[in-house]
Amino acid sequence: MPLKGEPLTAPNAAPSVPDDGDLVSRCQRGDTAAFNELVTRYRGKVFAMIYNMVHNEQDAWDLAQDGFLKAWKSIGRFRGQSSFYTWLYRIVMNLTIDFLRRKQVGGETEFDDSIGLRNIDPGSVTTPRTGILPHEKVTGDEIRARIDAAVSRLSPEHRAVILMREIEGMDYREIADALECSMGTVMSRLFYARKKMQSMLRDVYENL
Amino acid sequence: MKTFEEKFTAWVDGRLTGSELAAFERELEEHPEALAEKEAALELGGLLRAHLAAPPLRNADFFNQQILQQIESSVRPAAPAPAPRRSFWTLPRMAFSGAFLLLLASLLYFAAVPNTRREVRRDQQYVTNVLNAQSDDPNITATSFHSDQDNVNVVWLDGLSYMPPDHKLK
Repeated sequence: MPLKGEPLTAPNAAPSVPDDGDLVSRCQRGDTAAFNELVTRYRGKVFAMIYNMVHNEQDAWDLAQDGFLKAWKSIGRFRGQSSFYTWLYRIVMNLTIDFLRRKQVGGETEFDDSIGLRNIDPGSVTTPRTGILPHEKVTGDEIRARIDAAVSRLSPEHRAVILMREIEGMDYREIADALECSMGTVMSRLFYARKKMQSMLRDVYENL
Repeated sequence: MKTFEEKFTAWVDGRLTGSELAAFERELEEHPEALAEKEAALELGGLLRAHLAAPPLRNADFFNQQILQQIESSVRPAAPAPAPRRSFWTLPRMAFSGAFLLLLASLLYFAAVPNTRREVRRDQQYVTNVLNAQSDDPNITATSFHSDQDNVNVVWLDGLSYMPPDHKLK
């Protein structure tokens, strides 16, 4: 039984990890170290999400950086009505969707699956790796290329919805918050995105 | 009121429950392909999750560092405001100017005021000297007056038998 004035926690207890809300409050007071912590916490997920949207590492890197910088500049206006993670995704998704729209307007063609298959490094598909059999690697690369090609043929909004739902596991409300649209719109977009992906990838998952 | 697409999506994701689920399943009796579509959608989700692993973020620390550098540069203190313009009339300049004006006024005074008046003053000083002079001989008296007509001061000495050569009028 602890004596009066004695701390209730064990003396060797690990220091508590600040939650997002604490870090956001510190950021709003200009604490860049707190923001650095938030960047570390979410950089991997943000980068992965963007990468699956744009299929280019450098573009994903740049967009992720832009997203975090924009978040820093806007963090004074964050009122905690959604989670920081959802709020950050909204910023990042807006940037990424704008980027994809500009690419389309600029005349850059959508991903062509034949190009995607040609871009696979021959060495990477023939060199045996430990733990993965060569034929499994080939299959994995081919499937990845087919999926990337199919995702590239979706509109930016449909890409965002299906990736947030299937890869990130976000629920409809979170996706709606991130994309600033209604839940009905999210469900409708998800319906059509799935339909289109199924039609493009049916042969892939039927032959697995 | 949800559309068919919205309800179908919720059904695939297991978000329909109770009466809403029952009503939709009755609606699906007119769509015999719906169950296969649901299976295909679930397979698609599994396929995406299995194969859409993004490459890890390379140079993660550098990623943070770049962001912090840009933040630091964007919050760099603004250039200092230009110093307020100093007035020309600093204290030393005012003192100097005052002395200069005083000197100028003096010069103007000596240049503009008629010499006669100054001469009068010089005479008066001389008369004063005379009047202040002491003499052992009580018979010697000195009288002075000013002639306005001639504008001169006159010193009249009585009882003085001898005039030193350097005091003679020239």
